[in-house]
Amino acid sequence: MPLAQHLSLTNIVMLYLVSVMLVAFRFSRGAAIVSSVLSVVAFDFFFVPPKLSFSVSDAQYLVTFAVMLAMALLISNLTYNLRYQVRVATLRERRARSLYEAARELSGAVQTEQIVEIANRNIRGVFQAETAVLLPDLSERIVPPPVTSGTDQKVPALDTAIAQWVFDHQQPAGYGTDTLSASPVYYLPLKAPIRVRGVLALAPSNPRLVFVPEQHRLLETFASQIALALERVHFVHVAQEALMKIESERLRNSLLSAISHDLRTPLTALVGIASTLATGTNLSEHNRRELAQAAADEAMRMSGLVSNLLDMARLQAEGVHLNRQWHVLEEIVGSALRSVGQALAGHEVQVSLDPALPLIYIDSVLIERVLYNLVENAVKYTPSGSTIRITGQIREGSLAVSVTDNGPGLPPHMLESVFEKFTRGERESSTTGVGLGLAICRTIVQAHHGRIWAENVREGGAQFTFTLPLLEPPVIPEQLEIDADKPGQE
Amino acid sequence: MTTSQHVAIVIEDEKQIRRFLRTSLEAEGFAVYEAETGRQGLVEAATRKPDLLILDLGLPDMDGVDVIRDLRTWTELPIIVLSARIEEAGKIDALDAGADDYLTKPFGVGELLARIRVVLRRHGAAPEANNKSEFCFGEVRVDLGNRHVFRAGVEVHLTSTEYRLLGVLIRNAGKVLTHRQLLREVWGPAHVDSSHYLRTYMAHLRQKLESDPAQPNHLITETGVGYRLVE
Repeated sequence: MPLAQHLSLTNIVMLYLVSVMLVAFRFSRGAAIVSSVLSVVAFDFFFVPPKLSFSVSDAQYLVTFAVMLAMALLISNLTYNLRYQVRVATLRERRARSLYEAARELSGAVQTEQIVEIANRNIRGVFQAETAVLLPDLSERIVPPPVTSGTDQKVPALDTAIAQWVFDHQQPAGYGTDTLSASPVYYLPLKAPIRVRGVLALAPSNPRLVFVPEQHRLLETFASQIALALERVHFVHVAQEALMKIESERLRNSLLSAISHDLRTPLTALVGIASTLATGTNLSEHNRRELAQAAADEAMRMSGLVSNLLDMARLQAEGVHLNRQWHVLEEIVGSALRSVGQALAGHEVQVSLDPALPLIYIDSVLIERVLYNLVENAVKYTPSGSTIRITGQIREGSLAVSVTDNGPGLPPHMLESVFEKFTRGERESSTTGVGLGLAICRTIVQAHHGRIWAENVREGGAQFTFTLPLLEPPVIPEQLEIDADKPGQE
Repeated sequence: MTTSQHVAIVIEDEKQIRRFLRTSLEAEGFAVYEAETGRQGLVEAATRKPDLLILDLGLPDMDGVDVIRDLRTWTELPIIVLSARIEEAGKIDALDAGADDYLTKPFGVGELLARIRVVLRRHGAAPEANNKSEFCFGEVRVDLGNRHVFRAGVEVHLTSTEYRLLGVLIRNAGKVLTHRQLLREVWGPAHVDSSHYLRTYMAHLRQKLESDPAQPNHLITETGVGYRLVE
């Protein structure tokens, strides 16, 4: 043994101890013990004189053997324990991490479907089990999860009756419990502080991963996290519904009061006029005509109100469907003014449009409606003889259209709120209209990605401006000038 | 029934509307026949030799547009369509199917009678009217024979496309023409969807012929539907 010539026996003992430690580190505890004993035997056989024999010349070596064995066993034990601790710590860390990840995802979930998806994904990863989250319907009946496209969980032999029992009794059941343990699926209740929110079903592929105490505690933590998230989403939902209810109640009330005022007034006039015409025997022909004309005017005004109401209802119910085409602003202004028609008789209208305005890509019917409402408003809220100015120009890359009057202007606190539904100017008692006109304008302009706002101009009077984005207009090819007998001029 | 009396058929399912239509038409000297449904209306139209048909687009038994298509297979009789405000598409379909004009509910009798007068005049006009050598609206005088256009006595130069467009409007004066009809007439069937050509040229015509192009008195826009030349 050349080694024996270079190293003292003490160091050889050390080398054996190192090898024992390596074995303990790499292999099982049994292997370490075996290698401890073997190293003592080998040391005796190969190095202790007389060499290549188990006999010992010096009794002193017996002490060496004893201490060497004790040290080897101790080292192997310690090393093995260390390894075990590391493994346990790693596992524990992995559990903590998975829990943390799941909790983080769950806290961001805003919908029940998201929670179910997060729960399934995380639990499947950690417990190697097929899972399902079963939720109750409104009548507290557990419903089977919706059958989704294959990729989602597939728990075999899912039994909603057991799930219902778990939900009702707030106790786990199925595989691994005292209740209905024949089932291959483990059901545990998702308990939140207020109440049970559902049932978690697991079909474990390796039961140890689920029922080892540490894993089981982890599973329970998971379950309560899921339950908390479900409860949170539930209450967010409840709160939203309550808010919406309050809001729609408020809207309904103001709508009802506005309608009952604005529709009943012309109706009262109509009934009065019609009955006067029907029963009044000594009316002059002139009076008769006047009354009939008044009835027609009232009815037309009511028709305008009803149109506004219907428009708003339609825009809100169906959203705004734009039928966009390339238009000339001048034409839209012209047809809007034409629809206001007779009502404009007492006002002066000035239109000044930048001659360089390009074609605009809009829904003409709706933008005409915006202009109509703005002009009609200006007519309604200014004394007769006032001037209404309509201007159109390019401003900061958009088309800006303004309708300006020189009337009393808007009260400063109303500049923003005029665009709310059912808001009307101060002189409401003498002016009809449910206050929907500007709300409709805003809905339409916003659907065109534009802005609308009101301001008072320095010279006095209100100014409503809306912008429409300018897009690259289509070219009109020259060859469309069809050759005719007469040569094109200009 | 005297031979000189005009015959009108009213196809409308609302009783009160039929009633006021009948009253006002009879006051104008029409003999009025009513129909509540499209089928009944078609039968009336085939048997009464009407001069005018007033048709509600929203009928209980069939689409008003189908009534027009059916009628147009055998008669050129003037048809005026009544429609609710929201039905732009219905109006356009009706006009493209061959209706002469439309009225949006609610409408006044004055408006109705004015439209009736226009369609009857257009319809009654003998073919020689098309050979008229001159057409006037507002300050504008169009010399059809020599293709000269004058505004307040001064000649206005129109490009050939502008003149073609004006010509189509003049041939159909008083009638609503849909975008599709105008595009087909002026630019040809390949361009029926290029309504921006039409809008651009219409704007040119207004600039040249209207005293205030933003408040035109003659070249009238029927928003979402088409154009009409009003004398």
